[in-house]
Amino acid sequence: MSTNNDKQTALAPDDVGDNAIEAKETEGLSQSKIVFRKFLRHKGAMISIGVFAFVALFAFSAVGFGPIPGWWIYNHTSSGQIVNAGGAPTWSFSNFFSLGDHPFGQDDIGRDNFARVMKGTQISIIVMIIIGLVCLVIGTIVGALAGYYRGWIDSVLMRVTDGFIILPVIVIGSILGKLVGGANGPLLGLALGAILWTGLARLVRGDFMSLREREFVDSARVAGASDFRIMFKHMLPNAMGVIIVNTTLVMSQAIVLEASLSYLGFGISPPGISLGQLISEYQTSFATRPWLFWWPGLFIIVIALCVNFIGDGLRDAFDPRMKTIPSWRKMKKAERMTQKGTK
Amino acid sequence: MTEQTNTAKSPVLEVTDLGVNFWVNDEWWMAAEELNYTVNAGEVLAIVGESGSGKSQSSMSLLGLLPSNGRATGSAKMGGTELIGMPPEKMQQIRGNEISVIFQEPMTALNPVYTAGFQIVETLRVHLDVGPTEAKERALELMRLVEIPDPEERFHSFPHQLSGGQRQRIMIAQALACQPKLLIADEPTTALDVTVQAEILKLMRELKSKLDAGIILITHDMGVVADMADRMIVMKAGRVVESGNAEEIFYNPQHPYTKQLLEAVPHLGTGIEGEAFGADLADVEDSAVVHELEAAHGTADDITTGGNNDGAHPPKVTPSPFVTEGGSDRVSGLAEAAEAASAPKHDHDIEMDSTETYYHPGSQADFSKASALQLRDAAIEYPAIGRKKAFRAAHHINLMIAPGEVVGLVGESGSGKTTIGRAALGLLPTVEGDMVVNGKSIKGLSNKQLRPLRREVGIVFQDPGSSLNPRLPVGESIGEPLFLHEGMKGPALSKSVEELLTAVELPTSMRNRYPHELSGGQRQRIGIARALTLRPKLLIADEPTSALDVSVQAKVLDLFEGLQQEYGFACLFISHDLAVVERIASRIAVMRHGYLVEIGKSSQVVANPVHPYTQRLLSAVPVPDPREQRKRREARDAVLEATANA
Amino acid sequence: MTRFILRRLLSTALVLLVVTFVLYLLLNVALDFFWDLRSSTSPNIEALYESRRRLLDLDTPAIVRYIKWLAGVGGCVVGQCDFGIAWKSGQEVTSQLQGAIANTVKLITASTIVAIVLGIAVGMVSAIRQYSGFDYFITFVSFLLYSLPVFWVAVLLKQYGAIEINNFINDPTMSSWMPIILVCIGLGLFWMGALGGSRKRRLITFLAATIITFATIYYILASGWLQQPSIGIVGVVIIGLGSAVVMTFLSTGLKNKRVLYATLTMAAIGALLYMPLQYLFYYQEMNWLWMIGLLIVTVAVAIGVGLAFRGPDPWDTVRTTFFTGLTIAVLIFSDRVLQGWGEYSDQPAINNRPIATIGASTPNLEGDFWIANLDTFTHLLLPSIALILISFASYTRYTRGSMLEVMGQDYIRTARAKGLNERTVVMRHALRNALLPLASIIPVDIITMIGGAVITETIFGWNGMGKLFIDSMRQSELDPIMAYILITGLLAIIANLVADFLYAVLDPRIRVNA
Repeated sequence: MSTNNDKQTALAPDDVGDNAIEAKETEGLSQSKIVFRKFLRHKGAMISIGVFAFVALFAFSAVGFGPIPGWWIYNHTSSGQIVNAGGAPTWSFSNFFSLGDHPFGQDDIGRDNFARVMKGTQISIIVMIIIGLVCLVIGTIVGALAGYYRGWIDSVLMRVTDGFIILPVIVIGSILGKLVGGANGPLLGLALGAILWTGLARLVRGDFMSLREREFVDSARVAGASDFRIMFKHMLPNAMGVIIVNTTLVMSQAIVLEASLSYLGFGISPPGISLGQLISEYQTSFATRPWLFWWPGLFIIVIALCVNFIGDGLRDAFDPRMKTIPSWRKMKKAERMTQKGTK
Repeated sequence: MTEQTNTAKSPVLEVTDLGVNFWVNDEWWMAAEELNYTVNAGEVLAIVGESGSGKSQSSMSLLGLLPSNGRATGSAKMGGTELIGMPPEKMQQIRGNEISVIFQEPMTALNPVYTAGFQIVETLRVHLDVGPTEAKERALELMRLVEIPDPEERFHSFPHQLSGGQRQRIMIAQALACQPKLLIADEPTTALDVTVQAEILKLMRELKSKLDAGIILITHDMGVVADMADRMIVMKAGRVVESGNAEEIFYNPQHPYTKQLLEAVPHLGTGIEGEAFGADLADVEDSAVVHELEAAHGTADDITTGGNNDGAHPPKVTPSPFVTEGGSDRVSGLAEAAEAASAPKHDHDIEMDSTETYYHPGSQADFSKASALQLRDAAIEYPAIGRKKAFRAAHHINLMIAPGEVVGLVGESGSGKTTIGRAALGLLPTVEGDMVVNGKSIKGLSNKQLRPLRREVGIVFQDPGSSLNPRLPVGESIGEPLFLHEGMKGPALSKSVEELLTAVELPTSMRNRYPHELSGGQRQRIGIARALTLRPKLLIADEPTSALDVSVQAKVLDLFEGLQQEYGFACLFISHDLAVVERIASRIAVMRHGYLVEIGKSSQVVANPVHPYTQRLLSAVPVPDPREQRKRREARDAVLEATANA
Repeated sequence: MTRFILRRLLSTALVLLVVTFVLYLLLNVALDFFWDLRSSTSPNIEALYESRRRLLDLDTPAIVRYIKWLAGVGGCVVGQCDFGIAWKSGQEVTSQLQGAIANTVKLITASTIVAIVLGIAVGMVSAIRQYSGFDYFITFVSFLLYSLPVFWVAVLLKQYGAIEINNFINDPTMSSWMPIILVCIGLGLFWMGALGGSRKRRLITFLAATIITFATIYYILASGWLQQPSIGIVGVVIIGLGSAVVMTFLSTGLKNKRVLYATLTMAAIGALLYMPLQYLFYYQEMNWLWMIGLLIVTVAVAIGVGLAFRGPDPWDTVRTTFFTGLTIAVLIFSDRVLQGWGEYSDQPAINNRPIATIGASTPNLEGDFWIANLDTFTHLLLPSIALILISFASYTRYTRGSMLEVMGQDYIRTARAKGLNERTVVMRHALRNALLPLASIIPVDIITMIGGAVITETIFGWNGMGKLFIDSMRQSELDPIMAYILITGLLAIIANLVADFLYAVLDPRIRVNA
């Protein structure tokens, strides 16, 4: 990337008026802009962002959030007349395509499945984001301190992580879920965040440990920077890749975890609602009302898949070794062209 | 392009119109083009060029070892067989068998999970129809050929158990296994210390005469070229700018780039009237004889001095009488037992493993004078982390730098030279003795207490790529010390930053750039600007030019010298390259295994080294002058022999 | 090394102690020990509360109770375990644990081994074919598998993997050939992508794979194989020869004729021994001891054949014949197990629905060693598929990443420059190094799998530790939960130790330094 810049070393006359323009012209791409560009080129991640934004927008607008009403006629508690036999989905291809009253079907007491799935999606997304935020904050701070200072704080962190990893997340999650779960999504998110941060903390610690050995940290210290400034001004921006990528991956893990806990009955339980809870509630009716099983499951998968792909795109974008994916087809074509040209 | 063809020798390889391209961002990028050369049997062809000149890639293309987005065009014929575009199955027969390669990094080029012996045996058995026992025999033979000590035992060693030089020898043994017709040596000694490099070069010369193979030597080091090459090609940006007989090019370069390149190479011994040590065999033999004599009656002495060397060296032995003459209270107690160090000039009564410092006249540490840096019998440790024990990297160092003086600190990897630099900045703790920076002791100070002292010291690091924060524009990096120490902000800060950029001959507009957008030389200029921001009284320069190409290095050194005169700072210039240090420093200190073994004026050390290690170090440096190097080579081999087992 | 392991063991044990303590206190708050009394209208409700409090010793502070519990558990050291009781059912926890541990270990072991083998193989191919269609496909599939909740997969498997298949076995009529053709084409594309090569070679691979798949499926359907699955001597011979060729290719390359002949000999020996073994199985009641004995014989024969053919590298030959022999032994074993299929299906307890959805074994099943084994396998099938699907994805990703990393190393370039062929470069130089970091992933993954087993066991009614945990959580029974935590923690520690050991074996740098 730094080829042939020597040409520009010749001193330019320093005109004050032009200075601003010149500075703007020579303003190159910052690291974050390069990362951003690479990210934009990752097709999977771009599609996933689109889909995820669409799902989130739909979920929050359809049934409303808090006091704000949604545009969908039903909400997740109102029960109505069962329209189709057994409450089957009403969308059909008669008249080209029509949604009908209950496009996702109804449950046994006539509640609209679409409204319920949208509400569940809403809660699941909220829980996911809370978990992500909790992990981000705790993981980054603890990891940074442990990696920078090492010593006892590091030993404590490592032992605490050991404690969390010798048991499956779902086991500790069940116990915490039993403690704080029920109908309260955000509280469950906080509790689960409190057990999922350790992975991120370990990675941030590792990153800080290697950054600590980098010479720019020494040169900042020689320049007189305080520990706090070194950690947060110099090292943290360089660790952003690890932090962002892994927070995303924790979130994809979180949504499946929340669903599983709710399915087992230790997460969100009625009257609370979430995607996992919906599947749990209707699991016995899979043979008779499969739509009650398919739709919430589909939304869990779509959200988790999107978040996974976004994480993957971010990882590729932040990875300096990761060059842009070469297009072999174009290369072969160009090769053939040049061969023709030379013959 | 006139080829000097030697009719007596038959060509092994004929390259015509070779080109290498890479497919990057949907475009072909030229890495090399229009290459024409031949390699004859028993002859060394050096391909010389700076980084990015395409010298390495063009040679890899001969073996089809380009990365998957690379492409080779043109022709390379080996005894009538076309190598370019050869199908992979056929190429596998050629690789390792008729053409073999020695790679640069012996650290990473051997597979860590297999033994050294296995990796040689593997090569043998791929190409030759030999059984395991026979293959092992031959592998051992090869290991003996490349002079690996104790081959039966080393055969079962894993790469990590071998030293860098030994690994490179294994690599060479492996490359020679099938008696190839052509050997490609891709920077074979670049990653090695200079004395190890000398040993490997010696080995390669010996092998060259034993085997009748053509050798392509890819390197950026003119000294190595002068030592090894019969003919040479100079490459720049993918093209050949000059080719022909090595000696002719050295003494009568035609192309301006070649001239510039040769001028840029620092030449050991230019700063002194006579020649550098090691230019004359007689010079060396003098000292060698003494060593042999020592070796003969030396066993008893070895034991006594050996006892002294064991870690807990009594501090009173080391300092010279001049230390006490200076009369500082702290060291006056050390006065009595100082007898050994004030040795007269040609009394070579020092053994290789001696850890005492030899002071050339006039270089004794006089701690009473004002100084920028004083190390008083200092010991420096890497502190313990967790279960890892503390490691003492420097022992009993007595060193003084006067204000405005440039002292070079030389040593090979692991000698502790960087350690001293870091300790002077308070980045590593001084555990024994004292460390006085600009008149204030920094021993045992906390990070916070050090902060005000730090405005008077600056550092330039080796790797300009990693010493600048990649997430900050360089202007901000330069301005940080001003912001932190003087609270300077806004236009004032901008102005200062621009002044500094001008001082290091960079356009002021560069302040908004990020480090990765700059070339290595530009980054190092930024590094220097940053170190000078607060006009420090002491600058620690830790291998500031070793990551740079020679022509860039020359420019940076020029700049550095100019700034040193202008700003008048004292400097500890740490480097492994004696020629660079000789050029820049007024005094040279030599370190070995954590001890300071010799210190004196540059001319003294370069012309009349006293410690056998310094002699070994000096004689190992190849000079970019074939005739002189030929003389030096003999001397070098003698020294290597004499000091090898000392 | 030993010191390192001991130190780790000690520190992990301490961590486990702290974890059990914290969770004990937490569970005391989280669990409602009176949940069944809350809605009770019994007149002596106060007395009931009181007796429950005395039963569970709730008036004692939790810390003291923890120490008591610890003392009971500590009894295990002297052979007198006391894990307490499950108060709802009144059972001793030790008796609850007996079958549960074995069942869970069975499930986890089977799934882990399959997931590791498949994951490494697919991840490796995916890395070698980086940026190909195959690579993208595998990447997508692994992300999809990451995103699947286990419980959702398990419910689907129950419906489509068991109920529908059982229906189909009983009434094998198909509505359309379309899905089968799609499957054939899909598999054709899969193999085409995996094997790669020039355009012509890929086309041949595609056609061959599609046709072979179709022929196999057609044969299965037309011959009624599903109703009466068997391998038979023909199957043993064909698959045996195939495995001989594949093993030789992977281990030393087909150019090494001596090794090829050695493995082919193994296949021949397998075929020749097929009939005598059938007699043995018929006249002699089998058990696992016999099986282990036969396995040892197989290994001995394999080593014998390998050494007989020796060649310049006897141990390469032995390694190859060993793996071939193992494959053939498993083949003959599965053949014998499948021979019981008819008898098994017809049993009243099975009622022609052989793929089980509930439990770890069929109650009241009559039959010998082979039938019992078949029963275990039909029960193991679905829960382990559910677990494999999840962890297969992570092994694939890790192997791919680690393989890509290694393939970029200098020593791979050296290996190529020596003139080694791609097979040797990949199998000998890259794979071994790529597997190193995987050793540290395995324990983490096993712990994740234990977590997955909690859900899978619950859904498939598999009486293992996971189901015990969930049931006890639902019943608020503290002691079995604590037993679960303790034993899972121990399993995790063991998994970590095994991984450390593996690492030391694979990496000479560790072996020597520590």
